[in-house]
Amino acid sequence: MPRVAARGPQAFNTRTGGHMPTLAEKYELLACIQCGRCTAGCPVSLRTPLNVRKLVYEGQIGPGPAGAHERPQAWSCTTCSTCTERCPKGVKPMELLIGLRGKSIERGKALPAVRDALESTFKHGNPWGRSRDKRAEWADELDVPIAGEGEAIPLLYYVGCTPAYDPRVQDVARALVRLLEAAGVTYSTFGTAESCCGNEVKRMGEEGLFELLVEGNRELFAGHDVGSIVTGSPHCMNTFLKEYGEPVGEVVHYSQLLARLLDEGRLEFKGSVEKKVTYHDPCFLGKHNSIFDEPRSVLERIPGVEFEELDRSRERALCCEGGGGRMWVEAEEERGERLADTRVKDAVDLGADVLVTACPFCLLTLEDAVKTSGCEGKIEILDIAELAALAL
Amino acid sequence: MNDVLVLAEHLNGELKDVTFEMLTHARVLADAGGAKVAAVLFGSGVGDLAEKLTAEADEVLVRDHDGFANYNSAVYQPVLADVIRGREPSVVMIGHTAFGVDLAPSLSVALDAPLATDLIDLAVEGTDLVATRQTHGGKVNERVGFGDAAVRLVTVRPAAFAPQAGSRGGSVIALDTDVPQEPAFRRFVEYVEAAAGDVDITKSDVVIAIGRGIKEEENLAMINEFAELLGGVVACSRPVVDAGWLPKDRQVGSSGKTVKPKLYVAIGVSGQFQHVAGMKSAETIVAINKDPKAPIFQAAHFGIVGDLMKVVPALTEKITELRA
Amino acid sequence: MKIVVCVKQVPDTAEADVKLGSDGRGIEMEGLPLQINESDNYALEESLLIKEDRDGEVTVITLGPESADEVLRMSMAKGADEAVRLADPALEGGDAWAVALALAKAIGGMEYDLVLTGCMASDDGMTQVGVTLAEMLGVPHATYVTEMEIGDGSVTVGRELEGGLVERVEMSLPAVVTIQTGINEPRYASIMGIAKAAKREIHTKSAADLCLDAGEAGEAGSRTKLLKLDYPPAGEGAEILDGTPSEASAKLANVLKEKGFA
Ligand SMILES: Cc1cc2nc3c(=O)[nH]c(=O)nc-3n(C[C@H](O)[C@H](O)[C@H](O)COP(=O)(O)OP(=O)(O)OC[C@H]3O[C@@H](n4cnc5c(N)ncnc54)[C@H](O)[C@@H]3O)c2cc1C
Repeated sequence: MPRVAARGPQAFNTRTGGHMPTLAEKYELLACIQCGRCTAGCPVSLRTPLNVRKLVYEGQIGPGPAGAHERPQAWSCTTCSTCTERCPKGVKPMELLIGLRGKSIERGKALPAVRDALESTFKHGNPWGRSRDKRAEWADELDVPIAGEGEAIPLLYYVGCTPAYDPRVQDVARALVRLLEAAGVTYSTFGTAESCCGNEVKRMGEEGLFELLVEGNRELFAGHDVGSIVTGSPHCMNTFLKEYGEPVGEVVHYSQLLARLLDEGRLEFKGSVEKKVTYHDPCFLGKHNSIFDEPRSVLERIPGVEFEELDRSRERALCCEGGGGRMWVEAEEERGERLADTRVKDAVDLGADVLVTACPFCLLTLEDAVKTSGCEGKIEILDIAELAALAL
Repeated sequence: MNDVLVLAEHLNGELKDVTFEMLTHARVLADAGGAKVAAVLFGSGVGDLAEKLTAEADEVLVRDHDGFANYNSAVYQPVLADVIRGREPSVVMIGHTAFGVDLAPSLSVALDAPLATDLIDLAVEGTDLVATRQTHGGKVNERVGFGDAAVRLVTVRPAAFAPQAGSRGGSVIALDTDVPQEPAFRRFVEYVEAAAGDVDITKSDVVIAIGRGIKEEENLAMINEFAELLGGVVACSRPVVDAGWLPKDRQVGSSGKTVKPKLYVAIGVSGQFQHVAGMKSAETIVAINKDPKAPIFQAAHFGIVGDLMKVVPALTEKITELRA
Repeated sequence: MKIVVCVKQVPDTAEADVKLGSDGRGIEMEGLPLQINESDNYALEESLLIKEDRDGEVTVITLGPESADEVLRMSMAKGADEAVRLADPALEGGDAWAVALALAKAIGGMEYDLVLTGCMASDDGMTQVGVTLAEMLGVPHATYVTEMEIGDGSVTVGRELEGGLVERVEMSLPAVVTIQTGINEPRYASIMGIAKAAKREIHTKSAADLCLDAGEAGEAGSRTKLLKLDYPPAGEGAEILDGTPSEASAKLANVLKEKGFA
């Protein structure tokens, strides 16, 4: 069984010496014209001392901070990438923030919760501190195919760490399995051999561990001749698509697969869900990968569903603040309302019975926000797979 | 078999429970081997403690000396080594406590005698003594022998044996073994009492204790809610304090507080003996743990094997329903 | 200030179903992740804090198989200067006495002011090596330390006793201190750092290098004899309330109600 921890650190090279590029050189900060669009668009700058423009400025005029330990606000970033997308000069402020985290990590100055998540990923292949042999427990009462040693996998269901271990999100994985079964899809999983994709690890700035995970996963995928991959989280999908260098195969999010199965007539809803539903675009599905239509097309085809958009939707959707390592980090000096609270209240104001999303982190932060915003009993948070499975 | 020697441990004028527990078992061993039980008591002004021990042992060997006013292994060790050399007991029992752990290994080197630590049992088997101890967090029992050693040293886990009052009527024997001056290389400075916090967990009838299984500080909210529902306080195991999630005064166990509530609910606590030492006398003990083999289920009266992230919310809901 | 830190690699069994090996003398290691012993990690951190505070040199030392190099590399990535592994099958399988003797032979040949160990290994739970080592080296020791302050040729430590009472002790250097968890906040070793450390030398020593003959090393050199491992007897244990989380909770809620808590 492939184990990340057993591979040993020799598996990759360290960057070799020479001139250490300054922050300005490394992140091409000199192109910045200090227009401030980054900070203006930043969802967390409203709520924390994080000021992206200022951090870029510090890097322009001098060596800049030595790491996120000197500018703890860098840990507040959710890596939603709005700043990078809005920059008129092509600067990548988000990369700078991740780079600052990386410098802290290199110096051993990771926040304790981040340290624990990283050590767990190295040891167990997941950031949740859970042992590897429990990774397939979510499927205990189901008949989920697990690929045998070297067995080819034309369609891989890459479950991901949070759906595999978090009791709430396990329900989503189980709902998805029921949908795949109903549509007669042939697929396979890695069972306990699956390891973290590295998305959060990379965003916490632990580049070395990320490379180790990439290498391990590539080997695992190649050993099974994986064809296409459906991921249980937009975060995993984004990482496989954009951060693994060479493509690892066709990668889709489950909402895309469900839409396709409906298009092809393989998935049919026999039941109905008589509910007013609205949808929260996960950043890593929407903003990062422009997947806006497929989830909506699934929702609209569920019999009985009355769908209505939130005001801030699609490209303008509010971030839930669960990404970029923020599941492990409390933002610095938080003030004002948490964005997830705002989101839940908006949905309640819209009169929705259910706020649907399509991401494990969004699901967890929104569900938590139902309690913290005092909306208990007023609205339900469901994943798109759960809602669809209700109509089977 | 020669004597069974038990080192009496005391602090602030009181003998520790483990002393009586060891003496109880020492009598069993001595009776089986046709030997005597000798208690060894070092201290300053400990005459009344010696009297208390006469019922427990055949002999109470006392060295009353100023040099023993405070514990210092560098003073205890050479004196105890002398006593042992003089009497050649078959076995010397010392508590597996902060005191015993500091002393026993150095005694073992000084005497060149084998030492088995943290015993939960010690039995005569044929002509040999066999110790039982636990490894891997209480998931494995290990049986250990002592080869052909004449003197065997052991440290005994507190609460491993249930104490029974003895009726030996032993004699008190005052020793005159040399007590060295406190050496310059190790000096006792002072005792510092733990600071009191906002909540006194020893005063509550209901204690909800969390362990490392809680995984994240965030999950405390769920526990607080549950504790509030039952009108209890939240306590914890040591790793939760180490992580900084709760203050030290909430720690239950040997290096924390001892609680005796009517209800103790251990959530995500594995049940190492250092933890159990602080809660075993609770009237009703409930354990919630994913691992059916976790030792906490041995200490508990009721258990749920399951994921605390699911069980605690479900339990909160059921209790709320029952109340409604 | 020259500091030696003794570290041990142990399997993580907190959530694992521990299985005994067929010979009844060890456990099945397959599938158990390996890690630095918890209190050793705090000992390592303490040494690094001292080093940062007042200049110093930290040497980590372990006795164990090749896999234990991982712990040494991790220690170097965090800031340890030198690493030594007592690497000899003849040294393995020993009790606390044999392990301490091998360490004493190795450390006795080095220059040191302070030796730090964890207070207890989480696998064998011996709580014994540190003090045995001190006595063999002929230096003072203190156990269960949760506070430490280096003075001029001395160290003042706080030992955590039962009930959280702290005993403060002053010792002259060199000394051996066994560290209890919670004394500090251990840092993270980045994988890049570990990879860099992989290029550095790990000094290895055999039983012969330590001038230990066959009768003094490993099992042969042990004073206690491991007879057999068993699973703990089932005992009475708790009444397990079974079913789904919701069913089990309903049962427990009823029990609590009967007892007047709910
Ligand atoms: C000298 C000394 C003194 C000590 N004093 C104390 C003391 O006073 N108090 C104390 O507590 N400890 C003390 N310790 C530490 C003790 O040895 C143990 O390390 C500690 O008690 C373990 O704490 P734990 O049970 O929380 O953690 P672990 O042993 O790591 O156990 C965690 C448990 O949580 C369970 N779990 C994990 N996830 C879940 C989930 N999702 N749902 C349900 N269950 C889950 C696991 O199965 C496991 O059983 C002392 C140690 C020494 C050496």
